Amino acid sequence: MSDLLVDLSTQAWFRQTVKRLGLPLPTPEKLRRPKGPVSARPLDDRRVAVALGTDAALADQLAPALARAGASPRVVADALPAAFVAAGEAYGRPATLVAPGAEPPEGSVHGLIFDATGLSTPASLTELHGFFQPWLARMGRCGRALVIGRPPASLNDPAAAASAAALEGFVRSLAKELGRKGATAHVVYVAKGAEDRLEPLLRFLLSDRAAFLTGQPWTLSAAVPRDPRHGDGVAPLAGLNVVLTGAARGIGEATAHLLAGEGAHVIGIDRPGDEGPLAEVMRAVGGTPLALDITDPDAPTTLSAFIAERFGTVHAVIHNAGITRDKTLARMKAEHWDQTVAVNLGAVVALNTALLATGGGLADGGAIVCLSSVAGLAGNVGQTNYAASKAGVAGYVRALAVQVAARGIAVNAVAPGFIETRMTAAIPAVTREVGRRLSALGQGGEPSDVGQLLTWLVQPESAGLTGQVVRACGGMFIGA
Amino acid sequence: MATRKRATTSSARRAVVVGGARTPFVKAFKDYLHLDTIDLGAAAVKALLARHPLPREALDAVVWGGVILPGASPNVGREIVLDLNLPHSVEARTVTRACASGLQAIADAVASIERGEADVVIAGGSDSTSNAELKLPQKVVRTLGPVLMGGKAKPLDYLQVLAQLAPFHDILPRMPRIAERTTGEVMGEAAERMATRNGISREAQDAFAVRSHHRAAAAQAAGHFDDEVAPIEVSSGRMVYADGLIRAETSEAAMAKLRPVFSRDGTITAANASPLTDGAAAVLLMTEEKARDLGFTPLAAFRSFAWSGVDPADQLLMGPALAMPKALERAGLTLADADLVDMHEAFAAQVLSVLKMLESDAFARERLGRDKAVGAIDPERLNVNGGSLAIGHPFGATGARMVLTVANALARRDKNIGLLGICAAGGLGAAAVMERVG
Repeated sequence: MSDLLVDLSTQAWFRQTVKRLGLPLPTPEKLRRPKGPVSARPLDDRRVAVALGTDAALADQLAPALARAGASPRVVADALPAAFVAAGEAYGRPATLVAPGAEPPEGSVHGLIFDATGLSTPASLTELHGFFQPWLARMGRCGRALVIGRPPASLNDPAAAASAAALEGFVRSLAKELGRKGATAHVVYVAKGAEDRLEPLLRFLLSDRAAFLTGQPWTLSAAVPRDPRHGDGVAPLAGLNVVLTGAARGIGEATAHLLAGEGAHVIGIDRPGDEGPLAEVMRAVGGTPLALDITDPDAPTTLSAFIAERFGTVHAVIHNAGITRDKTLARMKAEHWDQTVAVNLGAVVALNTALLATGGGLADGGAIVCLSSVAGLAGNVGQTNYAASKAGVAGYVRALAVQVAARGIAVNAVAPGFIETRMTAAIPAVTREVGRRLSALGQGGEPSDVGQLLTWLVQPESAGLTGQVVRACGGMFIGA
Repeated sequence: MATRKRATTSSARRAVVVGGARTPFVKAFKDYLHLDTIDLGAAAVKALLARHPLPREALDAVVWGGVILPGASPNVGREIVLDLNLPHSVEARTVTRACASGLQAIADAVASIERGEADVVIAGGSDSTSNAELKLPQKVVRTLGPVLMGGKAKPLDYLQVLAQLAPFHDILPRMPRIAERTTGEVMGEAAERMATRNGISREAQDAFAVRSHHRAAAAQAAGHFDDEVAPIEVSSGRMVYADGLIRAETSEAAMAKLRPVFSRDGTITAANASPLTDGAAAVLLMTEEKARDLGFTPLAAFRSFAWSGVDPADQLLMGPALAMPKALERAGLTLADADLVDMHEAFAAQVLSVLKMLESDAFARERLGRDKAVGAIDPERLNVNGGSLAIGHPFGATGARMVLTVANALARRDKNIGLLGICAAGGLGAAAVMERVG
């Protein structure tokens, strides 16, 4: 679905006209999106400015991760840390040293990364300002700002916890300031012991795959045991089976293509009646279709039996199927309530319960991803049923993650914002236009933007993330 | 981690190098304009046989390496056999592994001998950039082919073909470029990026290139190339006696005047890059037993070969930094054991980058899985007779030229172990460890 304003904004004459005439029109930046599957060096030949705050702990992770991703670092420090020297030698990505306080050198940078893991007092937060303020002018379009800290709840010192929590407010606001350039901002909280989980997230967030994600806190923990990364990161889902519900169209269809692109075998589920489009998508991605009403009481046993017979086990399940039955509560019939909650939440719980039972079909070391919704979490007129189900999903993944962590299974939810799908195309034009623009990036997302996140979350390397609700909303101004 | 495949070349049928010959290497589009890769290869093999006379029936096979292969007769090795009127029983094959093709031909010959498929093999390689075929774009072939080959065509069909071929600018024959198929990057651009990525200065590159010329000139003057270079008659009846690209009188000051070729503020110039070259080199290999029977003195044998591959879009020419340590490990040796090191000089920047990588502990840890750096190569052991920068680089011939040079140098200098390293298009690397025999 094309967005006229985004397309026009790629034209210099349009931007100039809007500016000259002072038209009250946003000129959203066309987001840079990846062309193919994951590559070995997603940041090849892109410059990234890195600063290590006082007592920063992650230079040894940042330096090799950036070099392996192909990025050329500019390190703001008095002397080049040994980790950056070594990574530069090993991967031919020598770091350039920039003295603190000095004018950032010519040339745009793709990423700005600040390691704030050692900041422990409110006064020390000035280092954020000291780094980002001069460098922001150097950030290219669709750039990335990243702040890394320790999880506030893991810090015993209240002042340190305050400093860590402050990072979230900082990036949420920064995200809104950067949005017009198509650029995004995130804070990554790395728990002690989870340092080796940083690299996969860094590669994802700094890449074009995270185009529509912004203002998001991410917490990495070692709760889910996993071997450290090896290999070049290409074809991360090779040889793995992934179950995907709602696979016939929209976000599901886009996700099926992305999963298959990374090597997964997709078992696509959609309701009977949509067999046609489902079969078409599955044929295109070389997957297996399964027409199944997920709210049917027999659905869980049917799915488990299907997996056992055809595949033995599956690596992951993505609960993408969802419906809306919008009515204000005063006008809502019980069946609208029941249908919505049954598909969006009831079926998710029932299917997982079966898949997680002994011999149920989900392999240990796997992943579960559920779909929540920003609108649901924030609350919306006419969506009491929908919001209840989607907020329920958020609570569900937090609890389930704890329960299955020991089995090596990561559980997360994704909360999409305004995505250009058949569902949002049905919204009246004016409301739709407002919905699109009310975000930091000033535009709706594409189904593949959500698909990229879903595809990343089911990768074995992403297991540092569990029990979390991640928004894919372009920085919506409302809620969550 | 260290798996020693073989402690020494003690194979029951060890293949040994007994000698070889090569044409003088000359600048492309000059003296050898009328000699194609088959002619050049035949000249080298003919010279080899003149210097190392074999009973007519003794030769079993020819294994040839080439990069720019003639489209109508890609099995250059067989054409050489036929052109030289060698016995029809001398079977032949042609191999290609970009700039490591010559070494690949020798590795194949060694394997054939040690497996018992052959006793006596000539292996080598040649290339004539001067005779590269201009290629009709695929679009022309696919459009014209069905009309010309597909039965009766009416005048209208030809008109339709013309319409299909428009616009005409993309049906013109293309000049061949030394560009990567996957990235479209010209090799010089890749070398330029390697210089940046490994912090190699223009001055260091020029100094290295000057040394290559000076050493090659000294070796030439001292007659060290007489063992390998054989005069060749070119079409005009004129003779070419010696390598034509070596410049004894060059200096860093002279080189500093040249402008960078691949980027305005770059460091790669015509002087610190290997030139487009025509030439051929051939090596005579046989079992030790056969060498004794035929009265040849074995010069050297191979303790190991190793190959590597990296992403061409990253550091295209870093291959030797991965392959050379692998070859040493397979031979059960360390860098310190190598008395002579011969590294193909595609670009001074590429050789200096590889040297830096071998010296880096961090590189060894991350890329080779070892604790310590492979080590620094003593400049006195590296490319003692110069290298491709000065001598020239006919793609398919270089590997064989290096084997011949190292075999002779080990004998002349009374040394034991030689290490070879070659970078090649496609992100490939090649290496071999040679040891002196006899």
